[in-house]
Amino acid sequence: MATVTALDDRVLEGLAEIVGHQYVLTSKTARINRARVPSMFAVHRWEEHVPQVVVLPASAHEVSEIVKLANRERIPVVPRAGGTGLVDGAVPLNRGILVDIKRMDHVGEVDLAERAITVGPGVNMFKLNEMLRPYGVMYPDNPASYTCALVGGRIGTNGWSLLGARFGHVRNLVISFEIVLPTGEIIRVGEGGGIKTRSSSSGYRLKELFMGTQGTLGIVTEATLELVKRPEAEFSAFWLQRSYDTAWKTGGELMRSGYATIAGVMLFDERKVDFVRRDDEAYVPQPDWCEAVCAFALYGNRAEVRPAAKEMMRIAKASGGEYVGDEIAQLDWSARHDRYATPLHGRTPNGQVAPMSWHCEDAGIPYPKVPEIRKRWHAIVDDLVARHPIFDDWGMFSYTNGPYKPWGDMLCEIDVGIWEEHLDDETWGAWVDCKREIARASIEVGGTISAAHGSSRAGEVDLVPLELGGAYDVMKTIKRALDPNNIMNPGKYGLDSAYEDG
Amino acid sequence: MTADDKPADPSVGRVLDDWRNAAYNCFSSGHKFCREVCPVLQVTHDETHSPTAFHANLVAMDKGLLTIEDVAADYVNCTQCGACELRCPNTIFAGDFYRFRTRTVDLVKAMRALAVENDIHQPEWQRWNLQTDELKAEPVLEGVSQERVADWAAELGLPIGGETILFCDCEAAFYRTSQPKAVAKLLLAAGVEFGLMREQWCCGGPAAEMGYVDQARRFAEHNIADWRAVGAKRILVLDPHDYITFTEDYPKYFGDDYDFEIVLVIELIAELIRDGRLTLTVPVERRATYHDPCRLNKRKGIHREPREIMRAIPGLTFEDVDHVTQWGYCSGAGAGLGIEKPELTAAISARRVEQAATLDIDLLVSACVWSERPLSEQAAPHAIEVCDLMELVAHAAGLQPLAGLNVAAAGD
Ligand SMILES: Cc1cc2nc3c(=O)[nH]c(=O)nc-3n(C[C@H](O)[C@H](O)[C@H](O)COP(=O)(O)OP(=O)(O)OC[C@H]3O[C@@H](n4cnc5c(N)ncnc54)[C@H](O)[C@@H]3O)c2cc1C
Ligand code: SF4
Repeated sequence: MATVTALDDRVLEGLAEIVGHQYVLTSKTARINRARVPSMFAVHRWEEHVPQVVVLPASAHEVSEIVKLANRERIPVVPRAGGTGLVDGAVPLNRGILVDIKRMDHVGEVDLAERAITVGPGVNMFKLNEMLRPYGVMYPDNPASYTCALVGGRIGTNGWSLLGARFGHVRNLVISFEIVLPTGEIIRVGEGGGIKTRSSSSGYRLKELFMGTQGTLGIVTEATLELVKRPEAEFSAFWLQRSYDTAWKTGGELMRSGYATIAGVMLFDERKVDFVRRDDEAYVPQPDWCEAVCAFALYGNRAEVRPAAKEMMRIAKASGGEYVGDEIAQLDWSARHDRYATPLHGRTPNGQVAPMSWHCEDAGIPYPKVPEIRKRWHAIVDDLVARHPIFDDWGMFSYTNGPYKPWGDMLCEIDVGIWEEHLDDETWGAWVDCKREIARASIEVGGTISAAHGSSRAGEVDLVPLELGGAYDVMKTIKRALDPNNIMNPGKYGLDSAYEDG
Repeated sequence: MTADDKPADPSVGRVLDDWRNAAYNCFSSGHKFCREVCPVLQVTHDETHSPTAFHANLVAMDKGLLTIEDVAADYVNCTQCGACELRCPNTIFAGDFYRFRTRTVDLVKAMRALAVENDIHQPEWQRWNLQTDELKAEPVLEGVSQERVADWAAELGLPIGGETILFCDCEAAFYRTSQPKAVAKLLLAAGVEFGLMREQWCCGGPAAEMGYVDQARRFAEHNIADWRAVGAKRILVLDPHDYITFTEDYPKYFGDDYDFEIVLVIELIAELIRDGRLTLTVPVERRATYHDPCRLNKRKGIHREPREIMRAIPGLTFEDVDHVTQWGYCSGAGAGLGIEKPELTAAISARRVEQAATLDIDLLVSACVWSERPLSEQAAPHAIEVCDLMELVAHAAGLQPLAGLNVAAAGD
């Protein structure tokens, strides 16, 4: 496997010839600040993941030359986009060359006839939509990291969008893309050969294969994205509920209601309501009896959204819940990108405020099993908190999961606060075990470890073969065929095992 | 990779103690919501000097992975515009409740000061501050001297001293002299009584921004003494940078003893127009947009009055850009960036001008003299002129024709 401890001047010189000296960064701060992402980070082991050099290429050609050089020298290559991934994807596990793609932020022509735009992987969705606004269209990939994740990382993780039920997720919204393979060839994958063709039966479905790889099968250098008409109308409603059970049942009815404008249905459980209440007075007041929340959002043309909203409100009302009112609903929904991960809400068991890092599970769970997983997960986290007071249960959210299909399963997110500053080997070990148990429960109820972020974090990653079965062996075969020297983001997804038996 | 074994200066421990909590608050978020509004990162794309890294460096220093020597140069890459603070969820969503606010600007200032305290200097900043110390004004061009600090006012016959003093920024006093002249004429026309200082030194703000805090303090003490000596109670300020210095730095230096009323000229002029004490009659038949100076828009939340003034100018077609959209833009001139890294200032200005050019305008109006040089340099190829809001008002009031402005000018 490709691991090196020091890069000699020859390699650095080679990189400088490719990207130019000013884009080869060797300073300690340049490297140390690219050793982590926002997911749980073993601060006490920071040094182990510091890349040896950072390069900022500007084109697919430069990326290809970097990869070829790394291949010749057997040096690990780790792509990094926004660095917001929550499963350590961009963390250089075996150090090596970190390829930061943020300079590749070109934006092509707005093609209103074919409704598509071609951009570099360093483009951010919020910025792109700011630019697209005057054209009356938007790129609807809308994760909670809307303002900070980049297109390259969205493809690298096969990300999930909060508006996915209406507009689809990344796999549905990226029409085609260009990728540099681990051996340096540059190819384009999409629907057949057309850059903007939406559907093709020509050949294998390689587009999906190269999505969600966490950078283990190459580096995306350009993507052609779907443009949709800016919705004329947006409607969001938050209903307070007396029990989780009614929230879940109401959510189920709304999910199955058949309205095509549904962008998402969400559930907050009791612990999540408690978490939000931690700064209640500063934000939205909620009555004491509120034990859960069921919310939904609709997007589309006015002629569709208005009548659908009326019917959806009728269904929600029949549950016996209470509508929080327009102002709060809008406030809460428009805050969806920022609000739920504030470290300041961290509390030790005795109530002390502590700056905690946000960990977010994102399993895909069959709708009927959502109440069961909720109980199982909280029990697992309670046990952890009881043993180690640097952890804190921040409650559970559930969202409609399927693209264009708001029924069937939900993305369930249990959030855990972790006081990283106090992590040591023992607490880190306990955390990894807890992660593994959470993942095991998800698989046992017939779900998937991850619906959004990927499943390459310590703990859960051990169970990926269990989740995927024989398909995992095919993953290994593909990995070895495309990356013979294991240079692309080695160590991720347990794929080093692909190289073990000769 | 551990930091050199040399024991850290006690000053490092002091800064770590002051900033540990804020650093961990950001570190444990690490989400980088702030990145895409940072005007510097929009042109460098280098995460090494993101607000996230500015905070994480302290955690790494706390853990012995980095030293002040390792990090000092990174903190150059900041215009102290404040956009990141506004975008940070820790400020927006829980700030009030926990009485916490992300303060990246203050952190950058503290780290720059820590570098200077440890004798780590950026060559251009060192030269600039030494010269400022000698000249008592910033060396904004050849020939700056204390004797010439009020030359801009030569024909105006302004008194020295009085209850109200007009403080004139170094760039305005020596380089863009038409700006303070315009301001003075507007104030006189509206019947506002004011005088000048006996001996005006640089406000000291730039030195504080670059880390030369002792010098900044000395300059502040001088200016305050001068204000007191002439009986000043009210200070009119025509530049956003000085406004920050007088409303944020000086109160920190002098505490309760600091009892001056600080008035931003733009706000005063907006009021004078509103009250009919200034009438604007000379039409300006141009298509214009307004550049929100960072220190007004992002640091002080002042964005309404300049727009109110723009709308009061007869003949002007005003293509407005939302002030929140402008969080991500800057002229790049602030906090000494243009002194140490002029190529970055140029790139940041170029990006701002390109955005203005999409509006199909021919006039970019700013309210910050420091922004006008770099913006003008970048605007020329786009056939866009850059002018100061106060000069535009003086023109429209028939008090001072705007040089280069292709419109019928009224007499002086
Ligand atoms: C506050 C917050 C909220 C979030 N909410 C959501 C959400 O709602 N939905 C969701 O899906 N995710 C969410 N995430 C997770 C994260 O934003 C996504 O996983 C996102 O897709 C990562 O994008 P990035 O640009 O930050 O990529 P990075 O973190 O830089 O990289 C992610 C992975 O992709 C690889 N990669 C990066 N660039 C390339 C490239 N050019 N080619 C190939 N591989 C590449 C990396 O090696 C890594 O494995 C959230 C994160 C945060 C911090
Ligand atoms: S948005 Fe705030 S907390 Fe998040 S990385 Fe930026 S400064 Fe840190």
